[in-house]
Order: sequence, then structure tokens, then C-alpha cells
Amino acid sequence: MNIHGDMSAQLSITSGSYSSRGIKEENQDFHGLVAPDEPLLTTKGIAAVVCDGMSASYAGREASETCGKGFLADYLSTPESWTVQKSAQKIIGALNSWLYSKGHQNAQERYGLVTTFSAAVFKSNTAHIFHVGDSRIYRLREDGLEQLTRDHRVWISPEKNYLNRAIGIDIHLDMDYRKAPLQVGDIYLFSTDGVHDYLSDAEILRIIRQNQEDLERAARLLVETALETGNSQDNLTAQLIRIETLPLQEADELYHQLTELPFPPDLQSGNIIDGYKIIREVHASKRSQCYLAIDTENNEQVLIKTPSVNFEDDPDYIESFLMEEWVGRRINNHHVLKTYEKTRKRSFLYHVTEYLEGQTLREWMHDHPEPGLAEVRAIVEQIARGLLAFHRMEMVHRDLKPENIMIDRHGVVKIIDFGSTKIGGLEEIFTPLEHDNLVGTVDYTAPEFIQGEPGDTRSDLYSLAVITYEMLSGHLPYTNPSNMRTIRRREYIPIRQYRPDIPEWVNGALKKAMMADPDKRYQEISEFLYDLSHPNPAFASTRSRPLIERNPVKFWRTAAIIMLLANFVLLTLLLR
Amino acid sequence: MSSSTIEKLKILSFSGRTRILHLSWFAFFLTFFIWFNHAPLKDPIMKSMGLALADWKTLLLLNVALTIPARIIVGILVDKYGPKRVFSGLLVFGSIPCFLFAMADDFTQMALSRFLLGGVGAGFVIGIRLISEWYPARQVGVAQGIYAGWGNFGSSAAAMTIPLIALLFGGDDGWRYAIGMTGVLALAYAFIFYRNVHDTPKGSTYFKPKKSGAMEVSSMGDLWFYILMTLPMYLALVVLTLKLSPYGTLLFPAASLGTPLLTETAFFGVVGGLVILFLVNVYRIYHVNHEHLKEPVPDIHRYKFKQVALLSLTYMVTFGGELAVISMLPGFFINTFDLSIATGAAIAGAVFASFNLFARPLGGYLSDRLGRKLALSVCLGGTAVGFYIMSHIDSSWPLAGAILATMFTSLFVHAGNGAVYAVVPLIRRRLTGQIAGMAGAYGNVGAVIFLIIFSVTGVGSFFIALAAFALAMFFLIQFLDEPKGKMAEVMPDGTVQMIDVE
Repeated sequence: MNIHGDMSAQLSITSGSYSSRGIKEENQDFHGLVAPDEPLLTTKGIAAVVCDGMSASYAGREASETCGKGFLADYLSTPESWTVQKSAQKIIGALNSWLYSKGHQNAQERYGLVTTFSAAVFKSNTAHIFHVGDSRIYRLREDGLEQLTRDHRVWISPEKNYLNRAIGIDIHLDMDYRKAPLQVGDIYLFSTDGVHDYLSDAEILRIIRQNQEDLERAARLLVETALETGNSQDNLTAQLIRIETLPLQEADELYHQLTELPFPPDLQSGNIIDGYKIIREVHASKRSQCYLAIDTENNEQVLIKTPSVNFEDDPDYIESFLMEEWVGRRINNHHVLKTYEKTRKRSFLYHVTEYLEGQTLREWMHDHPEPGLAEVRAIVEQIARGLLAFHRMEMVHRDLKPENIMIDRHGVVKIIDFGSTKIGGLEEIFTPLEHDNLVGTVDYTAPEFIQGEPGDTRSDLYSLAVITYEMLSGHLPYTNPSNMRTIRRREYIPIRQYRPDIPEWVNGALKKAMMADPDKRYQEISEFLYDLSHPNPAFASTRSRPLIERNPVKFWRTAAIIMLLANFVLLTLLLR
Repeated sequence: MSSSTIEKLKILSFSGRTRILHLSWFAFFLTFFIWFNHAPLKDPIMKSMGLALADWKTLLLLNVALTIPARIIVGILVDKYGPKRVFSGLLVFGSIPCFLFAMADDFTQMALSRFLLGGVGAGFVIGIRLISEWYPARQVGVAQGIYAGWGNFGSSAAAMTIPLIALLFGGDDGWRYAIGMTGVLALAYAFIFYRNVHDTPKGSTYFKPKKSGAMEVSSMGDLWFYILMTLPMYLALVVLTLKLSPYGTLLFPAASLGTPLLTETAFFGVVGGLVILFLVNVYRIYHVNHEHLKEPVPDIHRYKFKQVALLSLTYMVTFGGELAVISMLPGFFINTFDLSIATGAAIAGAVFASFNLFARPLGGYLSDRLGRKLALSVCLGGTAVGFYIMSHIDSSWPLAGAILATMFTSLFVHAGNGAVYAVVPLIRRRLTGQIAGMAGAYGNVGAVIFLIIFSVTGVGSFFIALAAFALAMFFLIQFLDEPKGKMAEVMPDGTVQMIDVE
């Protein structure tokens, strides 16, 4: 395979690989590489990976594939301005968290999803190496073979050892990272233990040197030799990459140009930026502007979201703006706004998403003051499907509200804003939330989140339930919604006060989904959806309950009025 | 470039953002209206209360004193409770001293109510914050200009209408009804404002700034500079306290100071309090900055505090001068040219304060067109010349000449305000609110200092002092670094490109 071999000012490589299940029934190894075109070749570089799903693991193949494929796909969609290290750390952190939680979802399973992970990103004149476990990356130069990674193995006896670090073992992950300068002619070997445990360094060196001209053949010979003469007991994978040409050092300048993008100016209709022709402004707020535009390459309508110049020098804002794009690129779901890939070089900071014609849920609520239960259920289910797409990737939306939900012309409901999404496994740095610096709208935000806790999927359920309630009744479900200090004391108002026609069991489901304590809520959104459409006997009608329980406000108000009247009567009797 | 499809500022509508803009500028208008409701009533008040001229000047001075500390408190309250509650609260608060003043029996009560009224001068920042929540960056400058311009017109409106209201009621107590009515107006509007305004557009959240209290600076040198620049705010108040105390004659031996309002104990109490406040302020400055100054601030996050200081000092003479002139001009015109109260006040209001309506936006426009430094230089130069000419006005002048001189000065003073605020967001976008706050505070420091000069000397020296200060700033502003920026250029086919502007 020859990639970009024709242009000398660019980074280019040749590669070859071979993988075999060996004597085992299943090949749980994964290997691969991505070599994008410009501009990504300069901004992101070439990424290669090898993973060895743990053979004791219940689903080693799933683990290695998820991790390896996920890394290669996600790496290219990280923001341009992120360094290689930052991008890789974020992705691997997220993957680790996902594997860990998947592996621990079924407590009865004895083994989680665990895999080793060795990846290299070749960018400009540097190799960036990320490594966990006992798969290896070697570098071959004139002076010999050098192992660039360190095995994370513990030897308990000369014969017995086990892996003490890998992806998916623990919620916390320590990953090795190092940089190495690239030279033309360097050959990088990515291997799993089925190969390197059964071949000496001298043999590896000899096989590669003898087949330098055909890396595919060299990789195959490495695997076959380990299997036949070395008697390998494991899956075997070898991937070879040779550096053919390197970009000039000045490319760093180009890199800066590409990554430090200026904020776009005010765009007027008819302006063109990077091939997108602006039609009109759709929305503008303190934080951002949205424009309807046409992609001049394919005449498709798109929406362009640009950051507000108010935040030109605010690194936190820029960070969360970039995050939003990345989150959008990671999710591919019918009920989540689609964020387009960057296909052209960008000269400004913005993102491009699909353009939806329709109305926000807020507008829908205006137009449908007292909708039927079935109508509301249909919308809520679609929002839930969108939310689940977030949750499946260990992400919590955290800012669900009627303004962030669109219903398009075909009635498809989509979640459109993910600027405050929290991604599992990542450090707090991009939780823009501080105790006193809220991101979400307080009306729909779960109490634990307002109080500064990170929140989890159940916080999104809370928001979904508030929205459901508001759609049905036109009111927020509690007294005094905006006061932050009394948020734990929010009083739930039974929905039947506004809509007596709603069955009591629906009220019960809403109330449960909105409990202040997340442990008392439904633990899964699906349970909430089920209870919205199937009468739950636990929420039996409360017609027989006393007024003071059903509607305390009404009770006390009536009591107070009666007492006041009694006082008047008393007063008139006394004065007579 | 065509902007046909982009939403215009729709200034004549009364929905959405525009409704908020109208409601806020009117709230700000009312704060100015009641803040200077006494200025045009100088003669009837002095006559009916039997005040000496020195006492009247003391009232003018007290009227602007509380504004300096009130700004800080209002800033904190706005962060915490949001503009809607704080602005309504401030209007309610402001109506109380109006009633007190209207019913005052002696000088002390008048002094107290004037002092309390100084608090409403802090209303400006509340509306600025509210508008920045509602308007996108593209329109926020214009919207804030309208807010500031039309709101400031409140003092003009007061000068033009309040004497008429007083005449309408007639008699010795006519002025009491007029001032009481302004209080009723403020009180009523407080409720209207509260019912009709939301802190943010539906669905967005009211953010509390991450670090409030003090500004971030970029070097140790700037840290000292910053601390030095906070000092005048306290010094102005110390001098004011001194002037009102029995020790006043020590500082101003030649002047007639009127009745001392503070006892010796009270004097030391107030000064002690100011020293403590200053120390707290210094600690907060240190607290915000000591962490990030341990390592050199990256280049892209650097700014020079010099820029903030120069803008603040400029605003001190433009806005501070404006406030001082608004306070004394109606009385000055009436006495010098022997006019009736209504005519004199109306002229003063019409020719000076009302210029704000277009001169302030003009300053912003000049700044965009001529360059920042040149626009500020022009405004300061004009201000210096104008005040110098005004220092010569006396009863030998024809009234028309005096009016022309006042209009000339007013034009440059108000344009100067606009030119200062056009530069503020360009220093550090992220610190805009705090830099604007600092400049604003200096405006009030200016008002106090110039009114002290007015009260211990005469009209002539007052205008000379303003002219001298403006002239000094004209030279100092040459040290301002022209803010750099990037400009977008649109190619013939519509493609937008960025070019660096040096």
C-alpha cells in the first residue's frame, strides 16, 4: 500500500500488515491505520493502532475492535486546535470509560471488556506513542531494533505473568505517552504478544530487513515464523509502517495557521466562507450566531454556527465550542442534529450542521396548548432515543430544554444543542460547570446538577420528565422554579391540577422521574417511557386520598379563608 | 455589502429584545431624572429653606458622593440577583429620598436625602448588563449606545419639566410637590419594570461571572499600577468627608464652607471606614491576581493596564465633568442672566444634557472612522477649549453666546464619553464589564472632585479646572496604544477573508 508517496513535501508512508488467529478459535486482535488527505494530514497526521483483546476476557474481540476502530475514527474528528496528546488522551479516556461501564453492566459476567492498546500518531516530524498493556511498538533504524513501549506485565514467577494495565480494567487509566522524532526510512512495527513473545529481536530484525521492499510480505513472514518455528500459542498480529517522506519543518507554521482559527466576522447574505454561501441569519444570541448557508460544492442547505466575538479571548468558551463540534461528530443518530465533517480547509472557527426546517419544541408547545397524551408520548419517545445515543457513548447532555429540541417538517424530533455535554472518563477540565457558573437552564436542570455534582444519565431523565410535564400542562412542575437556594425543596405540583383528564398513573410516572434524589428516580429512561404508556399499579388513583395530601396549597388556602371569615363573624358578634 | 436580510435593530418595535431595550433605557432615564431633580429648583429651594449658597453647593456635592461605593455594591447584587430585581429595587430605593427631600424641614434632612439619592447613580451598570444578555455581539454596541444616550437624557428632561411642574402647583411648596412626584414616578415604574422584564431571553441562563470583585492584570508592575489607580476613588471620598467636617477649613482656608455636617467623631469614623474598605479592595485585587502572576502571562492574554488607566482618566473629565456641569448649570444660567426658573433650567437642560442623544453615538462613530486615539484626542481637545471658553461667561455676554459656547463644549464632552466606551471592549474582551466598571467609577470620582472645586472656589475656576484637566488628558492620551485587530474583507465574489490591521 502506498499512501501519498508522490508528494515530497508531505508526510507519506508505506505499510503492510498481517494477522492470524493462530491455534486459537477466534482472532481477538485488531490493527489498522488511517492516513487522511489534506488538510487533516497536516493538522492531525496519520494514526495507526494495534489492540489485543484479553483472551480471558468475555468478549476480547469486541473490546479490541471497539477500542481500535473507535480510536481511528474519533481521532480525525477531534478539533484541529487540539494537540495530538490531548486528542488521544480524550478519546482513550472516553473509550476506557465506555468499555469499563459496558463490562460492569452485567454483574453476573465474570470478565469485563479488556484490551491492550498501542497506537502511534505520525504528524509533521514526530511520532506520538500511546500505550497501555503488552502489545508493542518497535522502531527499526540502521542501528537496530528498539522497543518504544514498555510492557505492563507483572511477573509472579519466571513462568507466570499477568497484565496489570489495560483499557477497561479500571475507571482510572494510566497511559504511557512519549514522543520520538521521525526520520525517512524508519520502520515501525506494531505487534501483539503472539508475535513478539515467540520471536527474538534478532529474528524480527532479520525478517524485516530481508523484506524491506515488501512490507506486506514482511508482516506475513513475521506472523508465520512466530507460529511455525516459535510455536506461538496466541493470536498473532504484525503491522509495519515505513516513513517514506517527511514534510519540511516549516510545516509547523502551516499547522498554526490551520489550528488557530480566527472568529468569523458578522456574516451578511451573499458572503462566502470556505465555500459556504450565507443565505441569511437564522438566530443570534449573546453566545453565538447561526446562519443558513449553501454548500457551493453540492448545493446542499447547511446551518453554520459561529462563535460570538464576545468570547474572542475566552479560552473556556473556545474549548466548549470545539467540544460541541466533537460531540456532534461522535454521535450519529436520527434524533440528534447531524454535525458535518470538515471536508475543506477552514479559515475560520465555526461548525457546520444539517439545516432543519421546522419549529422548536417551545414553539410547538405554544401551538399545542393542551395536547393529547399520545401526541406527547410520540415526541418524548423520540427525544429519549436521541438521549440514549448520548448515553450509549457515556455522555450526559445536561442541558435539555424545549429550546434545544427541534421538530422538523416531517415530524422528526431532534436534539440540537450539545454545548454542555459531559463525556465520561474525561477530566473535569471541560465540565464548564462550576457551582456558581451554571451552563444549563435552571428550570429543566436536575437538582443534583445545580448543586455542583457532575450528574449522570438520570439527570437527563429529570429534564426529559420536566419537558413532558410542561408539554402536557403548559406549566413547570414545581413551585418557585428559579430560586437556586431552595432547589432541593422544589415542591412537585400534581399534573392533574392543570389537566384533570390525565390519568393518575401518568402523574405517578412523572413524579417519580422528577424525584430530587436520583436514586429514587427511574434508573433507565426506558422504564419511564414504559410507565408513560402502561398503567403502573404502584401509582393507583389517589381519589380517596385527603385533600391535604392531594393539594396542600388548596387545603391551606381554603382553611385560611374559612378562618378569616370566622374571625369576621366573631368580630361582628363582639362589636354588636 | 448588503444587509437586507439580516435582522435590523428594529428600534420602533416593542417586542422581544427591543422591548427590553426600551424598558431599560426608560428605567435608566428615570434614575437620572430623580438624581438631578433638585438642580433646576435651586432658587425656590434656597428661598423656601433659607439656605446659604455654600449649603446649596454642599447638597450638589453630596448628591454624587454615594455613587462611587454604590456602584460596587450594585455590581455584586446584579451578579447575584439579576438585573430585573436590582433595577426595580434601585428605583424603589431611589423614590424614598425623593419623598424625604420633598418633606424636609431642615438642612440635615435635605443633606441626608441628597446623599442617599446618590445611590441611584449606580443604575447605569444594571442596564448595560441586561442589554448584553439580550443582544448578540453585532448589535450590543448600538443598543448600549441608545440605552446610555436616551437614558442620560433624564437629567435634561428633569431640567426642562420639573420647574414647570413646580410652577403648576405654585406657591412656596411647589418644588416639594414636583420632587415628590418624581418619586411617585420612580416607584410606579419600578413595578412596571419588574413585571415586564426578564433577566435573559427565554431558555438561556443568567451566568455569574467566574471571578468577580477585581480585574485580572498581566504583570506585577500592572498590579501596583492597578492598586494605585483605586486610590483616587477613596481619596475623593476622604476629601469630601473632610470638607463636610469641622476640619474643612484646614484644607480650604479661604472658602466659605457652610454648615459642617459631620461631627469630629463622625469624621474619624467615616475616614476609618474608608481606609478599611480600601484595604479590603487591595486584598481582593491581590487575591484575584496572585495565583496567575506566579508564572508569566502568555502573550495572547496580555494587556497593558496603562490602557485602562488612560480611559478611566479620560472618562473622569468627560463624564465627571458632565455630571458636575448638569448639577450647577441651571442655577448658573438663571443667576447669571437673570432668567426665570423655568426658562433658565430649560435652556441649561436643552443645550447641555440633551446633546447626549446624538453626541454620544457620534463619539463611537468617530472612533470607528478616525481611529481610537485620534477620536479621543479630538474630543479632549474640544472639551478643553470649550470649558476654557465657558470659564469666561458672565453677565456681560449675550445669552446666545453663552448658549453657543455651552453647546460647543457639550458636543465634545458627550462625544468623548462615546469614544471612551468604543475603546473599552477592545482592550480585553473578556474583561469588558470590569474595565467599563472602572472607567464608570472614575466618572463619578470626577464628579465629586469637580464639584468640590466648584463649591470651594467659583464658577470661573471650576471651568478652568475642567479645561486644564482635559488639556492634560489630551497630552496623556497620546500614550494610548491603538488597539490592533483583525478586519474582515469581502472579495468581489463574496468570499470573506481576514486581514491583519496594524
